Amino acid sequence: MYQQGVGDFKYFVGIHTLEQIATRDDRVCVLNILGGESSAVTPVSHAFSGGNVVFGTAPGKRGQVLKTPAGEVPVYNNVREGLDAGHDFNTGVVYLPPSGVRDGVAELIRVNPRLRKVIIITEKVAVHDAREIRAMAQQAGVDVFGANCLGVADAWNRVRIGGALGGDAPDESLLQGSVAVYSNSGNFTTTIAQYLATEGWGTTTSVSSGKDVYIHFALPEFAYALSNDRRSRAAVVYIEPGGYYEHSLEFTKPVVACVVGRWKAKLTRAVGHAGALAGSGDDAQAKEKWFQQTFGVDEIFTPDNPVVSPRGAVVTNIAHIPLALTRVMELNNRAPDFAPRGDLSLKPWFGDNRGLELPPELDLPVQEAIAPYNHQIAALARQIGRSFPRRPMKDASGVSQMDPTSQITRLHNQSILDSATRPLESNLCQALTGEHNGDNDNILTNVAIAGYLNLHGDSMIAAADAAREAGNAPNVVLSSALAMLGPKRIETARQGVDTLIDLFAQAGLEDARDEDFDLSGIAISDEQAALFCGDKPDPRAEAMLRAIRARGGRSVFLHFIELCDRPLSRDGVLAAIAATLAWGPLMRKRISRTTVRSLPWYLRVYASLIGASADGRRHQPDSYCGVDNEELLNRWSVGEMAYLSLMGERGDDASLYAFQVLTGLLTSNGPGSISAQGCKGAVSSDGPETPQRVQINKAMIGFLSHTGFSHGGAGYEGITFLVDRFRETGLSDAGDAGHGLDLDAMACDYAAQYRQAKQAAKDAGAGRIGAIAGINHPVFKDKPVNRDPREVFIARLFADRDDYNVFHEYYKKLVKALFQTGATRNVFCVNIDGVISALLLKMLWPRFRAGTLDEQALEVAAFTIFLYGRMIGCAAEIDDHINRGKNMDTRTPASRLEMVS
Amino acid sequence: MNITGMLNGSKLLNYVGFPTSEVLGPEASEDDIKGMIERHGSVFIKPLFKGGVGKKGKSGLIGRAEDLKTALREKERLYFAEHVHGNTRVKAQGVTFEGAVPAEHEVYFSISDSTRFRAPTITITHKGGVDIEELDPSEIVEVPFEALTGLKAFVIANALSDIGAPKEIVSPLVQYLPRLWELFHHYGMTTLELNPIRMKPGPGGRLIPVACDFKCGFDRDDPRWQRLNLPNHLFAADYSDFEQEINQLRTYQGQSDVYVINDQGTVLAPTFGGGANSAVTEALGDRAIISSDFGGNPPYEKMRDVARISFKHWLAQSNVLFIIGGKSNNTDIETTFRAMADALRDYFNQHGPVPLYVVIGRGGPNLIRGMGAFKDTLDALGLPYRMFGFDSAMSEVVNYALHADDWMRNGGREQVAKKLGIAA
Repeated sequence: MYQQGVGDFKYFVGIHTLEQIATRDDRVCVLNILGGESSAVTPVSHAFSGGNVVFGTAPGKRGQVLKTPAGEVPVYNNVREGLDAGHDFNTGVVYLPPSGVRDGVAELIRVNPRLRKVIIITEKVAVHDAREIRAMAQQAGVDVFGANCLGVADAWNRVRIGGALGGDAPDESLLQGSVAVYSNSGNFTTTIAQYLATEGWGTTTSVSSGKDVYIHFALPEFAYALSNDRRSRAAVVYIEPGGYYEHSLEFTKPVVACVVGRWKAKLTRAVGHAGALAGSGDDAQAKEKWFQQTFGVDEIFTPDNPVVSPRGAVVTNIAHIPLALTRVMELNNRAPDFAPRGDLSLKPWFGDNRGLELPPELDLPVQEAIAPYNHQIAALARQIGRSFPRRPMKDASGVSQMDPTSQITRLHNQSILDSATRPLESNLCQALTGEHNGDNDNILTNVAIAGYLNLHGDSMIAAADAAREAGNAPNVVLSSALAMLGPKRIETARQGVDTLIDLFAQAGLEDARDEDFDLSGIAISDEQAALFCGDKPDPRAEAMLRAIRARGGRSVFLHFIELCDRPLSRDGVLAAIAATLAWGPLMRKRISRTTVRSLPWYLRVYASLIGASADGRRHQPDSYCGVDNEELLNRWSVGEMAYLSLMGERGDDASLYAFQVLTGLLTSNGPGSISAQGCKGAVSSDGPETPQRVQINKAMIGFLSHTGFSHGGAGYEGITFLVDRFRETGLSDAGDAGHGLDLDAMACDYAAQYRQAKQAAKDAGAGRIGAIAGINHPVFKDKPVNRDPREVFIARLFADRDDYNVFHEYYKKLVKALFQTGATRNVFCVNIDGVISALLLKMLWPRFRAGTLDEQALEVAAFTIFLYGRMIGCAAEIDDHINRGKNMDTRTPASRLEMVS
Repeated sequence: MNITGMLNGSKLLNYVGFPTSEVLGPEASEDDIKGMIERHGSVFIKPLFKGGVGKKGKSGLIGRAEDLKTALREKERLYFAEHVHGNTRVKAQGVTFEGAVPAEHEVYFSISDSTRFRAPTITITHKGGVDIEELDPSEIVEVPFEALTGLKAFVIANALSDIGAPKEIVSPLVQYLPRLWELFHHYGMTTLELNPIRMKPGPGGRLIPVACDFKCGFDRDDPRWQRLNLPNHLFAADYSDFEQEINQLRTYQGQSDVYVINDQGTVLAPTFGGGANSAVTEALGDRAIISSDFGGNPPYEKMRDVARISFKHWLAQSNVLFIIGGKSNNTDIETTFRAMADALRDYFNQHGPVPLYVVIGRGGPNLIRGMGAFKDTLDALGLPYRMFGFDSAMSEVVNYALHADDWMRNGGREQVAKKLGIAA
């Protein structure tokens, strides 16, 4: 059943002339007006069209408004509420998700008897629903545009309804003229309009028809309305295969038809447009013939073969549309609407040959873009560093990701297994710059950390010692120290970095190591110089500078501030070091300026965390942990200094390598780990949208407070287990493969004990006994023999170095023995915590054997080394959240909370 | 997403109580087959194809047997039969055995959505069992009907009157055929075809329509088909591994439609917009590896995943990475370009550099920021490139990409590789 509308169609059509499709009198209601797409598109449409949207709906959001340049659009729960509030509309626009479209159209039709038009933007509406939409609209006498379209627009009326024809600048595309446009492709609706302007043709009404199986306002209706439109003298139609909408048409005005998609005859299912799949006899080639018959032409128009008739032309390339139209209109004695605007020749806006010799057809010179894009390109060239779009960063990270299959985390897309093979000083910087250090970067990092490691006389070590004496765990001790490292103490260095960026970015510096860079054009004011210099000599600054020179380090920034002819300050040196480390990634737009500005703070946090883990007595005026300050500055790496802080001695090569592997492995477990959640929450609560206000030391305290004996103590549980197994064995050197112990027998004995205990617990109905620390994993568990890939990697790493570890070896034998004795159903894996325990205990074993390290000290050491590793990953998360996050974005909505009793 | 044949078709028809021929699957025992022959006099042996495959009879791929020995011989002949249908070559994965249905009348019946009538439409003839294209138009009728009312008995009765159907088949068809609307409309089908329906004499001589072959297509944008609990493997053959990975990301936010054109191609062209997809894929021809539509303003994460999967499967063999679309209306160029650039950087980090020439043609919101993000990445990766705005004709940009592919094929790839310090 259908109402008889205009013309003699065998179905309802209400549009008599194209002028009626998008008018200044139309009043619009938008369903799902606050949805992602609508909230971006509707404000532009509303403003462009003179404020034609009367209200929108979004269930449960009554009272909210959509802000637009033409004022606020009210939002109601449903259409009825909007009508009850006194609004009136004749056009509905549907932005609902696919499953809601049919019901939305039903609501519009049933609730508003004055509805005349519906425009459906949504893609992927089921054919089932389209059938019913068609039937409902036909019964009610409503014209439907879409679905899967970009709406309708009218350049004469300056109205667009529904979708985003013309994007965020409709005036660029909707130029008033004499040509109507009908397109199966939403994008091409305005692309064609742009192309037409190159021959001087403007448009009247543009219809994006969509290309679903059901096209409700299709070409026959368009042709009818075109005939009756006093403004349109011609039309361009863009057509794809599938459907008989274009068959046996009659046009009363000239038309250029662009039929594209011959290749689609090869497809067995649609790509992009659901309806663009030919059945029998409706492929692109057939459609070309239909139009050729309509226009009385026998070939496709091309510039080389310009076949046209007064009735029209058929093209298969949209770039040929403008010329074809001009030729057709010449036969109709019609001149273009205005002087041609631009041309369609190839004009690269960006390009680089990389020094390759390209053939002439590829070696096109970059040309200045049309306005306003040329201004934007110029501004882009001035932009320093990367800028990130902001979004809620709860449970999200732009720097770390754990692969749930392998359990291996990547930081800046680099596996932590790779981090384990890199020096600590490089990992510290990679967390923030996204790139590993070169030799020069390592030198500068080592000096920066050494310069701030010794906290003698600083309130930080006093706070840390007080916390230590009160019996706190290492995380609380280090938090106390960091609380003293507030923004005031770092402000000068941050401003210093900022100033160096300002001075050197516009000077075109590429390599911050280039001390021969021409500095003559860079002027520094007294005020700026004060950020790097003091009134009197600063011994620490001088020592750092000497150390950099002694190690062969280079920095154009250090060279530059040395020319100030005043004593350098330690803040100045730190700023120059930070700027040097970050310059490459900043200029490559890998990192943001915000990150670089904060780099001095991160460096000081690193140094303070490492320094404060040694108690105050070991911080002396001239030495740290018994090593002369100068010696540390001139020779030691961060890895060696961290080892010294923890063990109180300089490590041998094997111990230092194990230490590096451990800190690398512990770097990150992704944004879901408790430690990462702690630091992200701390950033979120400060408000990353004002990044300069985020307290990085507090964010680090957030990380530290979210570690503890469970999250950070796993290594210790393994150590305890291993100590119990080896305490009485007389083992002296855990790295000696000739230790003389019968590890097989030890493993079998323990496996038998474990099995007995398990059976006894079962018999007694006491449930399961505790798991053995260091073995088994919830992911790596169902194979006959299970391996944790991280353990496999570490085993190979150390085997390649001929670096034996008796504890690791014992673990491997134990998992086999447990299976052989029937204690486990398959061979469990040795997990990453087992590996960490084995590495750590091997390192600590001589001191434990010698009685200089009790079990509590063992635990402190295990916990602290975890903090050393994890501070790297958390620095990355903090910086990432500052760059990308939104204020208070880690909150959990009340609807997702649970009340338990 | 198509199903052909009675093995699965009979199960679907049983949902709406439409009679079917008896059917056994490839696992049928010799006793089962023998029993079926005894009950029906003879059996048809048909190869089992996944997806939509037609014209089996014309290709000699339907066997008939009146004894077990012949049935087994036909089974052996057809079990792995190959069939070329349109542009696709398919291989059978077993056979079905279908009991013969003696009948005087064979009926063709289908339901689909007609773009001529813009309504669901039945096609019916009482001279079925053959290709309906071979029949005289007066013997077939197409009748549209209203979707909200559904397919009612009077629609069938009127249609059969129009073609002068024998009166003995009218009543049973009017009784049974409307049931097929339930199956078609309520389970997300876009086409349903039964050919033939054989009119088998039932008790008292009244004819009963028995479906003896089945074809249907499902709308992949309609989740209603999932109500049928069909096994996933039925549709698995429709998609390559790459397409399946991309399809997992398919939501209504952005199309993410892909189709592998030529797995030996050398131009990887992520394309934005259905129109660009039609225009560009045509011009690239067999050089294109995939045909795609990634438009629809996909969010960053989704775009990065789409690009990651595309690069994982195809970047190593590509000469040209060609990112192309018109002047987008609502797809954010910065978001989509940044996501693809990040995915490209990730690929290089994980797999090492690949000699590539990058060609980009695009317009839309935040265009320059998007191009800028890509430029920074390409500069960091050391790849040659050109980026064109929307004021360069898309077809010319496609030609530029083809020239780049030509150059890469003729020594350019080696030159780029040398610059990158890798082997071509």
